[in-house]
Amino acid sequence: MSVDSKKIFIQGIFSDNPIYRQVLGICSALAVTNLLANTLFMCFGVIFTTAFSNLTVSLLRKYIPQRIRMIVQVLIIASYVMMVDITINAVAPDIHRFIGPYVGLIITNCIIMGRAEAFASQNKPLPSLLDGIACGLGYSLVLIAIAVVREISGFGTLLGYELPATRLWWHQWTIMVMPSGAFFMLAIVTWIARAKFEPKE
Amino acid sequence: MNKKSAAYIIGFMIVICVVFGTGVSVVHNATQDMLEKNKRFHRNRIICWAFLLPVSGDTAKDYAEAISRHIRIKSITDDNRIRNVYWRIDPENPAIGYDFSGMGFWDRIDGIIVLTQDLEKIINIQFFDQKETPGLGARIEEKWFTDQFKGVPIAWEKDVSDRVIIGRATGAKPKNQVDAITGATQTSMALKRFLNAELERIRALNIDGVFGG
Repeated sequence: MSVDSKKIFIQGIFSDNPIYRQVLGICSALAVTNLLANTLFMCFGVIFTTAFSNLTVSLLRKYIPQRIRMIVQVLIIASYVMMVDITINAVAPDIHRFIGPYVGLIITNCIIMGRAEAFASQNKPLPSLLDGIACGLGYSLVLIAIAVVREISGFGTLLGYELPATRLWWHQWTIMVMPSGAFFMLAIVTWIARAKFEPKE
Repeated sequence: MNKKSAAYIIGFMIVICVVFGTGVSVVHNATQDMLEKNKRFHRNRIICWAFLLPVSGDTAKDYAEAISRHIRIKSITDDNRIRNVYWRIDPENPAIGYDFSGMGFWDRIDGIIVLTQDLEKIINIQFFDQKETPGLGARIEEKWFTDQFKGVPIAWEKDVSDRVIIGRATGAKPKNQVDAITGATQTSMALKRFLNAELERIRALNIDGVFGG
């Protein structure tokens, strides 16, 4: 079991990374990475929802009729996302003011649907839960890498705090504020990651 | 049980909809009161920030107390809209605040603008609610943006659209100009448009004195 868990994690984070390997969830990778704080909230939401959606789909996998499996998966994912959204709004309204729009976007994140369909519907609950966490972490690492570069070069800040001595060395790189900057960063990250983490044939 | 039969598919779908629908409803109902309280707290906090009121703590009670001590609120009807007018009843810091709202880039933006009693200068501006692009237009709520408005004179002698300028102005930087948000041109332009329109309406209301009309 521990060998399986390790394999699931390594696959989800590196060799089968949802962003640079499976090319899923790209739209949010482009949209939220202009600021690191927004990125971190989105990552938490995706890890939580992927893990629990995977777990639920796996628990029900023997009962879900094949013809409506995608409808059922979307319903499960949307329900979890709504529960998370409502709970955060009630318990931590200030955090929700930042992440509210992103939490709704999680329903449409292809990673969650993709893992539910490709893994959770065919595997046992615990490996499915771990796979959800691993894919969420893989997604998070790529987004954080992009966001750090975009926020520093686009705004001269990190997590909202201004970097030291920006007057001496920093000039705003406006394209990094725009979606086009995200496209370039994503392509660069994919290039480096595939060169470094490509599974040996 | 035949999982391919229509009866099973429909039955399964009904059961799963009921179960998950109930789950979401339970969470929603359980949090209704908290959401109402949060909304009131947020509103009170924004009013306190807008008027730069001294607040003894950071709890909902502290903000409510600061408002009851310093502010009087009246709702007036302005062209089929209910607009709140706020007076700071402090002879050393007189100020008058108005609800203002308009269409941003994506949806309505609601805020409060606090002016000197002669309506010549902006004391502060804060936002109750906005649904602009996170990280871009949504940055209108951030301190660095709203702080720019403090002390900005309103150029009443100019055209309606140029009384407060957000973003580029022709010539040297005039006193009534604040910076727009990089990457959020549409939100900045929309805010300039409806803020100036609202200021025009506010002046026309001709409100004077506490509870005056």
